[in-house]
Amino acid sequence: MSSIAVEFTRLFKTLTALLLIASTLVFSASAMSAGDATLVVYSGRSDKFVKPVVAAFTRASGIKVLIHTGSSTSLLNKLKLEKARTDADIYISNDAGNLQRGNTAGLFAPVTNKIAATIKPQFRGKENNWLGLSARARVLVVNSNAKDIDFIKSVFDLADPRLNGKIAITHSSNESYIAGVTVYMLSAGKEKTREWLKGLKRNSKGRVYNKHRKIVKAVAKGKKVVGLVNHYYIYRYLNKQPNAPIRILMPDQESEDGKPMGIAWNVAGAAITKHSKHKDLAMKFMAYLSSVEGQKIFAEVNREYPTRDDVAAASMLPPVGSFKVAPVSMYKLGEARNATIDLIESVGMP
Amino acid sequence: MSLAVHYKNFKDSSFAQRITLRSGLAPAVVALAVIPLVFVIFSSGKLSVDGWLSLWTQRLPELLWNTLTLSVLVAIGCFILGVSAAYWVSRRDFVGRKLSIWLMVLPLTIPTYVFAHIYTSLLEDEGWLGQLWHFIFGAQSMAPELYNIWGVTFVLSLAGFSYVFLLVRVALSCSQREFEEVARLHGLNSFQVFWRVSLPLMRPAIAAGLALVVLHTLSDFGAVSMLRYQTFTLSIYMQMNGRDSYEAAAGLSLVLVFLSLTFLVLERFFRNRQRYYGTGKTGRVKLKKATRLETIAIWFWLGLIALFSFILPLAWMLSWSWQALVDGLITSVFWGYVGNSLFISVAAATLTVIIGLPVALYHARKRNVLSQFYLHASSVGFVLPGPVIALGILAFVLAVVPVIYGGFIVLLLAMTIRFLPLAIQAEESAAQQLTPSIEQAGRSLGATAWQNLRRVTLPIIRNGMLSAWVLVFIDTLKELPATFLLRPTGFDTLPVRIWIEASEETLELAAPSALFLVIGTLPILWFLMREDKNQ
Repeated sequence: MSSIAVEFTRLFKTLTALLLIASTLVFSASAMSAGDATLVVYSGRSDKFVKPVVAAFTRASGIKVLIHTGSSTSLLNKLKLEKARTDADIYISNDAGNLQRGNTAGLFAPVTNKIAATIKPQFRGKENNWLGLSARARVLVVNSNAKDIDFIKSVFDLADPRLNGKIAITHSSNESYIAGVTVYMLSAGKEKTREWLKGLKRNSKGRVYNKHRKIVKAVAKGKKVVGLVNHYYIYRYLNKQPNAPIRILMPDQESEDGKPMGIAWNVAGAAITKHSKHKDLAMKFMAYLSSVEGQKIFAEVNREYPTRDDVAAASMLPPVGSFKVAPVSMYKLGEARNATIDLIESVGMP
Repeated sequence: MSLAVHYKNFKDSSFAQRITLRSGLAPAVVALAVIPLVFVIFSSGKLSVDGWLSLWTQRLPELLWNTLTLSVLVAIGCFILGVSAAYWVSRRDFVGRKLSIWLMVLPLTIPTYVFAHIYTSLLEDEGWLGQLWHFIFGAQSMAPELYNIWGVTFVLSLAGFSYVFLLVRVALSCSQREFEEVARLHGLNSFQVFWRVSLPLMRPAIAAGLALVVLHTLSDFGAVSMLRYQTFTLSIYMQMNGRDSYEAAAGLSLVLVFLSLTFLVLERFFRNRQRYYGTGKTGRVKLKKATRLETIAIWFWLGLIALFSFILPLAWMLSWSWQALVDGLITSVFWGYVGNSLFISVAAATLTVIIGLPVALYHARKRNVLSQFYLHASSVGFVLPGPVIALGILAFVLAVVPVIYGGFIVLLLAMTIRFLPLAIQAEESAAQQLTPSIEQAGRSLGATAWQNLRRVTLPIIRNGMLSAWVLVFIDTLKELPATFLLRPTGFDTLPVRIWIEASEETLELAAPSALFLVIGTLPILWFLMREDKNQ
């Protein structure tokens, strides 16, 4: 019995030691990060696309930034729950819908007019409570070798029975997907969109892709004929595989009645949180993000469209103005979001 | 001192007090454990009749069907893998038997989302399995995809069969060879012996193992969300993240709780009715030496299981970790993630084991309706999905003790509540060996309550506490959804990093992180297996 007791004590000593070592590690790490005035960013955008601009900001200003990554929506919900207790100074979202919802919930503080004026009005919140920083188009990617697909002119053609088993779409909790459906619902009406979703469900045969990258790949490999994606996924793939048999198809640019809907447009953007304890630093960060230099880095890392007039998009992209955009204001993406989710669920999309 | 005085002391002073203390502690623990459930009931109470109706008609039939079929398939998968492996290693002695036991346990170190991620990568056209497939079946044929019920079953069976293996092996190794001998003497062939004697004897262990597997399946978030298979848990997560309100998510959670509780009660009911008693003089079982043919057959089967459940994933991790190392990505930042993971896991395991003790001991002593109730009520962590537990705790902390919000303690609380059932189950089964007479003997010989606990009770249930610690440690190390929501700002653990990297498709750090989850668990597993041997 006593040897067991000894071993037991020894075990607990080992555990305590382990705990101590680990806690030293953690606290030294947190002590490093919790130095004076660190800007905390809740980021729903990929780390890979946020880090470059953050690093450039820190180099330029000497201000340290801590990135707390998650999904745009769950971070927004977190902000909402935390209220004044939040650590966050900045909220970055990959989707305008979330920015607008945060605005409605009173979670953000406005930027100065001077900063706001650099960004085109349609790309920012009504009270300058958030700024859109890079725009993306919801487009079709088609396989260049596919035959008999000339009839595809609109996203609504994806529901055409001729495409049964040939379309690649993402799952319906994807923020870009929800935002796209919102635009179609507001432009073409609820009933038409509902029928379209039913067609999508039929044509995708219940198989959806969890990554947009895989949609482009499936089309490039000829497994599917057409896919619905954000434009940059196509160029990202072409960057790695320049000879891949895919091309971009800008949907809804022409229609029989001469009034095409235009493509769905969405922005990634940022806002200062209302309860930020470092508003001055946060304002500096926003100023940097909307500066020419910041805009270039923010948009270019992901081949998106900058939201300043005087910064050009990457050269391989179809230039802004060469295609028609559905006239749905970005803040509508937030207001109509629940209705969109209800619609998607009523169809039972996976 | 006369015996009568001893008896009097024993009766009216400390023993009675100890009971009060313990009967006070147990409900306190239970109250902590049910916080998330209270949140779920409260939030779903706000769901309107229309809301329920639309849930009922639109979501529930499909979710129920998906979740139940998946649970059944995974249970079958784990049964086949776990029982066959356990039977061979405890009934035959063959070359490399110890190694094979290790190989059957090691998959526990790999989280489900890592399995899902690795196998989808491996099956892509450039992946090893994809290339192999094209080599064998031609470039035009399509490698199988995992984005369906079979894929999820495959992944969850590989990730879960070790639970069945572990429990069944223990049952087989300490039991009852003599029953089999008797059956054989009466002329049964080896298949009949297996079917009519060994299998029924294994039944409680199999039931317990499969219960663990099914509960893991019901609450699994990682694999189903990577493979986009709609179960209750994934749907709840989508509801939580899609909408402004948590009511629909809470409504779905409530249904899931009922489902899991029904299952748990059924399982306990069946297990309680089947108790088998060994004769006590089990001793060390001498294993029959395997013939050469048997050895080949055994290793073919065990090797196949090990290949898919551990060797292939490990090879993938090593190869990509090497790439990360070459690219100079293993920096101090990465070691910070490792430190965070170890810290939270050690802290959570230690706290959970301590907190679980009162409930386990209370049930072991009382075995009444109230103690049963405590046991079931503290299982909340197992029947609610991680994201919901996290949310419930978040709501509780913000409403009741907002000072601790944002701190490490909240995350610790979540892990403790989430994995409390694991600890209690292990401790309770160990405490079953604790007959009241042993404790009473200690007391009557003059030990104080504390001395008795330290010198009599704890040493007896020590192994149970150790396995509880190990189980909680391993599960916390792998925990993803609750950590994601509750971690202090900037506190990234390895699972969180794997998730971020995997969802960005920048996989550089996913592999070394996964590798460290395996490495971090190894010494602990080694400890567990050594204990097991000593028994």
